[in-house]
Amino acid sequence: MTLNRNKLYSIIFIGCLAGYIWLYYVATQSQTDPSVEACFIKHTLNIPCPSCGSTRSIISLTKGHFTEALLINPLGYLITIILLVSPLWMVYDIITKRKTLFEFYEKMEYYLRKPVYAIPLIFIVIINWIWNITKEL
Amino acid sequence: MEAQKVDMFIMTNAKFFESHHINSIRERLIVLDDSKWPMISTLQLKDPTTSLIISILAGSLGIDRFMIGDTGLGVGKLLTCGGFGIWAIIDWFMIQEATREKNMQKLQQFLY
Repeated sequence: MTLNRNKLYSIIFIGCLAGYIWLYYVATQSQTDPSVEACFIKHTLNIPCPSCGSTRSIISLTKGHFTEALLINPLGYLITIILLVSPLWMVYDIITKRKTLFEFYEKMEYYLRKPVYAIPLIFIVIINWIWNITKEL
Repeated sequence: MEAQKVDMFIMTNAKFFESHHINSIRERLIVLDDSKWPMISTLQLKDPTTSLIISILAGSLGIDRFMIGDTGLGVGKLLTCGGFGIWAIIDWFMIQEATREKNMQKLQQFLY
């Protein structure tokens, strides 16, 4: 599976669609329902994964509780940005028949492979994970 | 290149590539210049079995995708708990093929 523009855009489209459906589903559910959990790791191991709590983080962001969102999981901010920006960027690319998002994605991939950026980011994710476990999300 | 060398390469590395690629690799290697042999014979290829094991154990964190070099998709998997667990399961079946494709891409730099 060699990644090209259309493949990447369909993956992003499916991801964003699933994300929005999931957010809508969770937001309309009652808050105390314990069965609303997507995480595979948390179900099987009972340990939260690095991105556990991002749904709660995004939902509190939509309600305007910015510090609460940061305290639940800072990754919520990153996911919100991706969810908001990538569909618009994709539509812009499709209308103008360009592939700026794909080029941006490839550039980011190139930088993320460099140890200078990769190692600190891995540490940040691990620290966030430890924080998640101590918070007992 | 000599057919003997090429066949040896194919025999030892067949598991790293898709079966439909092997014939074209062989044809391409035979017409290739001998000076490229040291580079091709020492090429570091990723084992599909290893990536399958990693996918089963740590697929929800996207580590399998990071390993084969799909950093962007790896980040996507990491941020979404392995695509709500669904993508992680799909990748149990996709990752071997993806690894072989990556190996093919790696080899292609030397073939053409």
